[in-house]
Amino acid sequence: MPAPIRLIVPGTLRYRSIAVRVVAEAARLVSCSSQRDPKDLLDTDVRHPFDTAVVSAFMEIFNNVAIHAYNRKGGGLIEIEITPTDAELVIQVKDTGHPFDIDEVAPLPSDLDEASLPEGGMGIHIAKTMLDEMTYKPGPPNLWRLCKRLPATPLSSGAARS
Amino acid sequence: MATPFDVQNNTHETKLTVRGSLDINTAPALAEEIDKIIAARPGKVAVDLAALDLIDSSGVAALVKLYKGIRSAGGAVAIQGARDQPLAIFKLLRMDKVFNL
Repeated sequence: MPAPIRLIVPGTLRYRSIAVRVVAEAARLVSCSSQRDPKDLLDTDVRHPFDTAVVSAFMEIFNNVAIHAYNRKGGGLIEIEITPTDAELVIQVKDTGHPFDIDEVAPLPSDLDEASLPEGGMGIHIAKTMLDEMTYKPGPPNLWRLCKRLPATPLSSGAARS
Repeated sequence: MATPFDVQNNTHETKLTVRGSLDINTAPALAEEIDKIIAARPGKVAVDLAALDLIDSSGVAALVKLYKGIRSAGGAVAIQGARDQPLAIFKLLRMDKVFNL
């Protein structure tokens, strides 16, 4: 298991971009995808489906912590631990803000039409759907664990026949 | 932080172009502009997302607000050019069909 990447930022939205850039680069380490602009080593442009899933989910969790756990006021830290391997990326996000009951998050409407388009409550749904695993342990400290795996590489036709 | 959008008005439509990242930090400014667009009651709003790299749920909420506000006043909204991560988010939320993406 490689050593994790650790980043600690104040629990406000001001530091969101820094965290997202680091997570985007860690996702690219796993997916081996390239950046649109090779001169920008921490570009947040994500096109590979793996990078898209990881960054989309992480953005929502960071938002959730800064807005709900810390009530947009900060006052605590967000500790991020990123563990990239050849097959998956695991991100743990720890905060000491207010906990919440994740089971009380309302699901999105099953039949979406113009009238039922939601204007909120989408963040947890996005994160959960984008990831292979997502857990939340209320604290404090509150602990999120996000896991995204690379799709299994299909066997070559020759190997499948042998 | 640079504002990731601009608005152009002409006789036929209002065009909103969104660039870069539309997220919790940038969506509030767009939401204010959307209030102005809705108040003007345009017959058609074209939203160009071709230069949009990233969106989060706050950004989606701002665009939903625009869509609902214009449609409820009898106007039309055409959202075009979504790609990569933003398109994946709209599909995940099943909004791609409502928005005809």
